[in-house]
Amino acid sequence: MKVKIKSWTAVGTWEWVSNDDTCGICRMSFEACCPDCRTPGDDCPLVWGECTHCFHIHCIVKWLQSSQQQQLCPMCRQEWKFKE
Amino acid sequence: MANIAAQRIQREFREVIKSEEVAKCHIKLELKNDEYTELKGEIAGPPDTPYDGGVFQLDIIIPETYPFNPPKVKFITKIWHPNISSVTGAICLDILKDQWAAAMTLRTVLLSLQALLSAAEPDDPQDAVVARQYKEQQSVFRQTAKHWTYIYAKGPHREAELEAKVSQLRGMGFEEHKARVALSTCDWNIQRATDHLIS
Repeated sequence: MKVKIKSWTAVGTWEWVSNDDTCGICRMSFEACCPDCRTPGDDCPLVWGECTHCFHIHCIVKWLQSSQQQQLCPMCRQEWKFKE
Repeated sequence: MANIAAQRIQREFREVIKSEEVAKCHIKLELKNDEYTELKGEIAGPPDTPYDGGVFQLDIIIPETYPFNPPKVKFITKIWHPNISSVTGAICLDILKDQWAAAMTLRTVLLSLQALLSAAEPDDPQDAVVARQYKEQQSVFRQTAKHWTYIYAKGPHREAELEAKVSQLRGMGFEEHKARVALSTCDWNIQRATDHLIS
């Protein structure tokens, strides 16, 4: 028997590799985006601190901008440094 | 209200409702409006403290900038504690001020307040009168706190001796709560409390 493929559609799935399920700031799932965004993915990426804690970039930036004194991780209160 | 604040409170509210502490009746949370901006909290007085057996109600206001700024929380139930104003219910607790972090939640706030009832910080007082008594007359403080818990928070220890003194001042024509505050302030010395009320 010969099969002729006329067309095919590829489907891919992806997920963030994070050590938690939800963002500690907005409490939305990492598979979803922060409350200000509409589509998860590159438009609403996750970022990691050197302390290994992970947040939506929009959430952690808002937190760092709102804290008057030092820039601390909202989870562990260590100094926040973006992990390269 | 900003999108993030309302959405987060909705999620937190559901989390608290399902939590173990609610099941054990240690904490409680109720909505006061549909916009998720005002809530009513409740914490049980912790065991082995003068607040044991009492139920304390809290007023919670969520700012538009939540969770980047802390919720505004105060006691509705009157309480005798060095870090809580016996007049307004205002609370002196670092995480409700400069030590707030966006990862904290209403659940952790309620549990922190419960911990504050177990471990007062008299060197960082909200109510200087209570803090002085806490440091200088620990047994009078404990008795007073138990009595307030009985009167205002449905606590189990009546402290009949203290109640008799309040009745005595009421007999002299003073209003009950004012009489209790004056007596509590003056370490339950009737003469000094009377002078305090007249002056």
